[in-house]
Amino acid sequence: MKDELLDRILATEEQLIPSSGFAASVMERIREEATAPRPIPFPWKQAIPGIVLAVGVFGWGAVELTRQAVSAAHNAPALSLHLPVSMLRPVEGTGWVAIALGASLASWLLSRFMIADSRLL
Amino acid sequence: MSTTAKSATDDLADVERVLAGDANAFEAIVRRWQGPLVNMAWRYCRDRARAEELAQEAFVRAWRGLRLWRRESSFSTWLFALAANVFRSDLKRVPTVNIPIDDIVEPSQPASQADELQRKLRYEVVRRAVLALPLRYREPVLLFYFHEMDVAATARTMGLAEGTLKARLSRARELLRRRFPRLADEHAAMELSASTTGKEA
Repeated sequence: MKDELLDRILATEEQLIPSSGFAASVMERIREEATAPRPIPFPWKQAIPGIVLAVGVFGWGAVELTRQAVSAAHNAPALSLHLPVSMLRPVEGTGWVAIALGASLASWLLSRFMIADSRLL
Repeated sequence: MSTTAKSATDDLADVERVLAGDANAFEAIVRRWQGPLVNMAWRYCRDRARAEELAQEAFVRAWRGLRLWRRESSFSTWLFALAANVFRSDLKRVPTVNIPIDDIVEPSQPASQADELQRKLRYEVVRRAVLALPLRYREPVLLFYFHEMDVAATARTMGLAEGTLKARLSRARELLRRRFPRLADEHAAMELSASTTGKEA
């Protein structure tokens, strides 16, 4: 089929006339908004010291945690000697688990995309 | 002065008055654009009451964001783009009740020339089928025919490149053609009838 008939069908829509009270009801809402008191602005001046303090505390905490993790990593070879083999095997497979999870996620996203497209057919 | 140019001048003057603090000046904008906005919303939902609610919401958002109109494009372009955003997000939140496009059945009998009502019903099925298209294809079709098949205006409203819009329109038409194969026969019959009438005359 050429597109002319489809164009004609879709282009010839009946024109809706808004109901008589439409403009009035829109203006009622506009006037309500215009007369409503302005929203109270966020008190940034009072909040900024608190935000700075919170960021500082969390930053310091993160630095401390990293430092402890690094020092623990240095001691890790000594610790690993005492770990049983059954506990180490799952850790060796972590990479494969991550790859499998990534592949699952990719296939899930692909299937969602394909379903969205095949709905048209 | 053309109607479009006059309405653009009126829009600008009314917007200036609103921004200067005269809320009542917005009424002229509402009265000027209520028809197009309600009809545009109707195409998105095909529900009269909801179309008016959506159009009202679009006007309120326009009122709130009037300062954001940068005058690079016409007021109507800005208003339509804003309205399309409002309609799109509202319909994502509360979708229209539609049957999937696969379940739409094309009426079995092609309408005869005399059967005008049957033809109108068939055409209405095609129009409603547009709402069953996925949003990325549905919206270009809705807005393209709302803008009287003006690709540039549709692309501006959607914020898309014209090439992208054309590709999506082409895909949407292909899907509709596949769903309504008998329209091809009807089109051929109409062309034949027209050419026969022409020869007889």
